[in-house]
Amino acid sequence: MASRATRKKPPATTGVLSLPPVTESTTSSGLKVLAAERGPLPLVTMRLVVRAGSASDPSGKHGLADFTARLLRRGTERMSADELDEAIEFVGASFSVGINEDLVSFFVTTPAEHFPAMIGVLGQMLREPSFPEREVVQARERVLAQFANDLDDPSTVADRTFTRALWGNHPYGHDVGGTAAHVGSFTREDVVRFHSERIGPKVSLLVVVGAVSPRLVAEEAEKAFGGWTSGPEAPLVVPPMPKLASGRVLLVDKPDQTQSQVRMGGPGFFIGHVDYFPSTATNIALGGGFTSRLMNEVRVERGLTYGIHSYFDTMSAGGMFGITTFTQTERTREIIDVTLGEVAKVREGGIPAAELKKSQRYLAGLYPLRTETNESVAAVISDIRVHGLGDDWVEKFRERLLAVKPKQTVEVAGRYLFPKSPFLVVLGKASAVKKQLKGLGPVTVVPASECE
Amino acid sequence: MPKALPKKAAVPKADPVLQSLFDVQEATLSNGLKVRLLPNHQTPVVSLYTFFQVGSRNERPGITGISHLFEHMMFNGAKKYGPKMFDRVLESNGGRSNAYTCTDQTVYYEDFASDALEKVLDLESDRMRSLRINDAALSAERQVVMEERRVRVDNDIGGMMDEELGTLVWKAHSYRWPVIGWMKDIENISRQDCEQYFRTYYAPSNAVLYIAGDFEPKQTLALVRRYYGDIPKGPRPEPVLDAEPEQKGERRAELRHPAQSPSLMIAWRGPAARSPDTFVLDLIQYALIKGEGSRLVKKLVYETQLAISVMIDWSWRVDPGAIIAYLELKPDSDPRKVEEALYAELERVAREGLTERELQKAKNNLRADHLRELATNSGRAHALGHYESLLGSWRDGLALPSVYAATTNEQVKQVAAKYFLPERRSVVTLIPSAEGKEMH
Repeated sequence: MASRATRKKPPATTGVLSLPPVTESTTSSGLKVLAAERGPLPLVTMRLVVRAGSASDPSGKHGLADFTARLLRRGTERMSADELDEAIEFVGASFSVGINEDLVSFFVTTPAEHFPAMIGVLGQMLREPSFPEREVVQARERVLAQFANDLDDPSTVADRTFTRALWGNHPYGHDVGGTAAHVGSFTREDVVRFHSERIGPKVSLLVVVGAVSPRLVAEEAEKAFGGWTSGPEAPLVVPPMPKLASGRVLLVDKPDQTQSQVRMGGPGFFIGHVDYFPSTATNIALGGGFTSRLMNEVRVERGLTYGIHSYFDTMSAGGMFGITTFTQTERTREIIDVTLGEVAKVREGGIPAAELKKSQRYLAGLYPLRTETNESVAAVISDIRVHGLGDDWVEKFRERLLAVKPKQTVEVAGRYLFPKSPFLVVLGKASAVKKQLKGLGPVTVVPASECE
Repeated sequence: MPKALPKKAAVPKADPVLQSLFDVQEATLSNGLKVRLLPNHQTPVVSLYTFFQVGSRNERPGITGISHLFEHMMFNGAKKYGPKMFDRVLESNGGRSNAYTCTDQTVYYEDFASDALEKVLDLESDRMRSLRINDAALSAERQVVMEERRVRVDNDIGGMMDEELGTLVWKAHSYRWPVIGWMKDIENISRQDCEQYFRTYYAPSNAVLYIAGDFEPKQTLALVRRYYGDIPKGPRPEPVLDAEPEQKGERRAELRHPAQSPSLMIAWRGPAARSPDTFVLDLIQYALIKGEGSRLVKKLVYETQLAISVMIDWSWRVDPGAIIAYLELKPDSDPRKVEEALYAELERVAREGLTERELQKAKNNLRADHLRELATNSGRAHALGHYESLLGSWRDGLALPSVYAATTNEQVKQVAAKYFLPERRSVVTLIPSAEGKEMH
């Protein structure tokens, strides 16, 4: 041990970082399977991603992808909802569903000894869901009640309103869960059709990481998914980025609020875009970490908020640059002005060398954390494949990040940091807030109850 | 202290898988600082946790919320690294930090590239040795915390109900007030209050360091001694008096606020973390609400469809805590009916216990969650701290799987019958007020 202590190690931010070896196979039904064996814990994680996210919701049926995915667990040709719950939960496994604009994902973690049984259950749910009528009706009622209760959560209402107004009629312009009006119209036929037309092996990828051999993964995947026949040959093509809303304010009135939720946004870029690294480094300095300019000016110097952050949201067909924060009702205008002022400074001058270096080292130092768990390894393997990031993505990430020059931050800041006035959503007590918003563009007031 | 384990039960043994993950090296410095080292070379990162045994439990009326406000002040400058330097230096060395405050502990943590370890020890020890509190930073941080209170409590239904519930459950104990404190107290806490707090509770003798990840233990312990060794020992903190009187009957409160649906928050007074009943309650909690097929989720969400969701929080505390149920209802739900259905299920557990399969399922899930928690350096370091702080020794945490495995249905019945009683219960009902139901 003493000898290891004195051996010179490469710096942690640049030393070799790589993923465990990945073994690829394909089931007879055409499902791609990637397996990576990894210890020491006796656990296995599975991540099945399907290119049928909320952007593939049919028109008039927003939320159908999410709704359908969650119903897979409520019955198959061979097992009832109760039997599925028991099979998964008795052994200490977990099953969950995630959805974004591009993908619907199924996550399973299981004690390693139950991997064959659990991949079998996952296969059943994807291959032969029965969608019992009673379950469809009940799920619809639960979702509608949840939508009603969500109106009481200011942050959720602000986020949903923001997405909708910013993207307009583009397939990215609705919340992944849909709206009450649409969900209220869902029938069993809608769900059956969505599953048979959109969810299938040719548009899916299964990643398995953990204490299991790639050989066993390939064998069990064939047993579980070999007979899977639903779904299309290719995913729907999402239309290119639309012109995003800009230069106006949507004021959501919730009279009981003592605090305003604030969202700002403008155009960004798609996943895998060449601007990713310079934009990421720029954003860390502007509003990423705890010592970002926005945190310093808005929180530390002025005590205006508890939290503020800026972000690039990237999807397969486009993306946005946005800022999220909140403050007490009386200081709503001040937080907007201070924030936009800081954005303008970076837009005009980029990030100077020393500050850029700090951001790069921050992110490079923490990057290895993204390969620390079975779940995070499965996530990055899946992202690399689905979005074509290249097999050296993890290995080269820090090198590419550290190569960003100040000049590039000037370029991307000019391109994305609100060169045109951003679109704003403010949720709060309109009678006290509206008069503070003069000069930020036309203001439209809507009651929170209409923002379901 | 109640004994739920049968007398003949063998001393619980550490779980073999956990044992292999926990090659812990321990030391105590002469100033009382305890150190736990847990090397693991899988990824070139390290997590450092500092647990201070202080929280809102150690407060008094007039300065409620000081533990939490103080936690914020720990990031505002010390002697060597002045205002704003802590996070700047840490981030520029490839690290991030955060902290949290609860009733019984205040916890600081950093994740960072392994070559920044010495720098992080320098930063952490600097603020333990010589924190500098200035008025300007205190007044800005006060505003930040007030904004945090507005977002977490004043504009959040769950937050409002939780605050109401605390004052119902506890009449005398300091668990009565919210960790974030009352708004007026946050406004009035002075610099002198903070300085006094620092001297008493932030001394090395009231702290434990947990370091997990890619480092060499011998070298690291030498570094800890170098950076922390000269910090003087502190005074012994005043013991907290648990003067809570016996509860004589059910307590109820209503909260009227604009909302779409009613909701319910119900607490039963429970045991202290160190009571053997704690682990039986862990199993009961899992059987009741863990997973779609758990008793209460199945009954209340799927079968009767009375609730949209049901959660039970059973957080261990140093002094006797509370088992808290939170039920999100539908706009037309009748909260009284939901309460009846819930109590009927709990009475069934007290009368009949769980099925053997339910009990085994709860054990399997507790073990699986235990393993998942230990997948990261941060998870392992935090688990050690959590167990040591609440159970008295981190070793007791590693023995938990065998404690759970040995628990019988007889114990489940006894413990359910003991705690889920009307006279241990407090109920807060949120009633939507008229202006909440907005016109469409």
